[in-house]
Amino acid sequence: MQTLSEDDKRFLERKALAARKNVLRLITAGGAGHVGGALSIIDTITALYFKVMRVDPQNPQDPNRDRFILSAGHKCLAIYSVLAEAGFFQKDLLDTYGQINSKLPGHPDMHKIPGVESNTGALGHGLSIGVGMALGLAMDKRADGPKVYVAMGDGELAEGSNWEAAAAASHHKLDNLMVFADRNGLQISGDTVDVMSYEPLEDRWAAFGWSVRTIDGHDMHTIVETITSMPFEKGKPSCVILNTIKAKGLSFAEGKASYHYWKATPEELEMARKDLAAIEERLAQ
Amino acid sequence: MTDLRDPRKTFGEALVAVGEKNDRVVALSADSSSGSGMSPFHDRFPERHFEFGIMEQGIAGISAGMASTGKIPFFVAIAPFVTSRPFEMVRNDMGYMRQNVKVVGRCGGMTYADLGPTHQSLEDVAIVRTIPGFTVVNPGCPIEIVKATHAITDHVGPVYMRLGGPKMPVLFDEDYDFQLGKGVTMQDGKDVTLVGTGTVLSKAHAAAAILEKKGISVRLINIHTIKPLDKELLIKAARETKAIVTVEEHYIAGGLGSAIAEVLVEVCPVRMKMIGVDDQFASNGPYEELLGLYGLQAEQIAETVEAFLA
Repeated sequence: MQTLSEDDKRFLERKALAARKNVLRLITAGGAGHVGGALSIIDTITALYFKVMRVDPQNPQDPNRDRFILSAGHKCLAIYSVLAEAGFFQKDLLDTYGQINSKLPGHPDMHKIPGVESNTGALGHGLSIGVGMALGLAMDKRADGPKVYVAMGDGELAEGSNWEAAAAASHHKLDNLMVFADRNGLQISGDTVDVMSYEPLEDRWAAFGWSVRTIDGHDMHTIVETITSMPFEKGKPSCVILNTIKAKGLSFAEGKASYHYWKATPEELEMARKDLAAIEERLAQ
Repeated sequence: MTDLRDPRKTFGEALVAVGEKNDRVVALSADSSSGSGMSPFHDRFPERHFEFGIMEQGIAGISAGMASTGKIPFFVAIAPFVTSRPFEMVRNDMGYMRQNVKVVGRCGGMTYADLGPTHQSLEDVAIVRTIPGFTVVNPGCPIEIVKATHAITDHVGPVYMRLGGPKMPVLFDEDYDFQLGKGVTMQDGKDVTLVGTGTVLSKAHAAAAILEKKGISVRLINIHTIKPLDKELLIKAARETKAIVTVEEHYIAGGLGSAIAEVLVEVCPVRMKMIGVDDQFASNGPYEELLGLYGLQAEQIAETVEAFLA
């Protein structure tokens, strides 16, 4: 387990702010995108790339790297923003979002951009892919072998294929695998528990043989401490349920299902810039 | 005496052989190992055999994930359960992600004759060949199953290989030169080209013999790789014989005949007849009788060709 110093915490918060600014840059370029979920998961992805994962932007195919899969691929604004911030590609690319043949499609494509590990978008695929990676990497029996992280949306959990993968992960004792269930509570049609309830979510994962912890998905201290406690139990895959706020950071959009996909007006973009400037001011203190 | 061999047992032995050669080969089972001929692989390489139970969507994605770490997964089960059921995972996780997975659908076509359409697979070739980058292989004899298993292991990229269930006659010698993507002219002829594939290649082969006795000169071509298709060989056959008849244990929609027609209609349109199952769920009953319901017995194929040429 890794405990963050106050300086480290502040460093990660600044990186998360920079990533949110990149999200805004993408939206400004493309005019629209799945911003709600991107901003609920972006703090965890920031922590992964800047504090936890063994990755090298200069050698993105290193066989010994840790893997991150964004199963809820529509949240790609988050991974693009963090990868750009981490130096996997030039930030200029962010301005191509929405253009013909952009290397940053509305769902990530591993063959278009370094750092992306899988082509997600159709929901309910990422965990199976992650189980396969974890199994393949575990076979190599390296000391301090790579770890696999999979981020899923809470609406996505209705897909039955996830639960096939969840069963396989515990059956094969994949303690090099961690899932993040991004419980922002909203999906496109409204409250996730009203659309198709997944509660009690902790019990579900536990019943599938996972070791489960629930945390505040916007608190860097807790996020890093929790992720670096992997595996929570030897021989079991780890599940982190992230209590998050959809569109976190944009005051006018937070906690609103209507910002699952945001067609940004100029006025909203201006409000968003002000919101992020306010966060910047707070972090500068 | 015809040498008949079990395709699953044959495949299973070949899988052990490629496993000996290449330690990256792994086998993934959906409660289907023994039925798929993979028990010998399990016994020889227990650490490289993974059981998941009945979860084909999950295994399709898991295969892709394993392939991304450098393994060469063989995902083997009853044909519809590795193709139509997990199709989106095959399309996205293997195809779109360009992962080196070998999907093997056994007991394809109407093998499960008595169990009915849920277990039959007459659309697998059609749907998988729409996926960019996929290779689709349909071996027509036990020797070809062995050669194809080696070839698809060496080939880098996603592959679908379709196997039948009932014992198959040996049509080729052990030293037969199998190359992915290359059709095989089994017999030359000038009146008509008969193109066979997979489980009914032997029926086409027998039909060609019947027709020869009647004085019809048949060019017999074996297309074991439906994608990529050996266009050159087929265009040449169309030019030289002016008539093509295709034979497959598959729907006419989207199968071998369709694939060939897609090429010829643009380059060298000739008269074609496609023998297969038309737009219906197949019936049930004894396998050979079921083939007969859809005109896939040798005598029926010969009659169809004769009528087509008349």
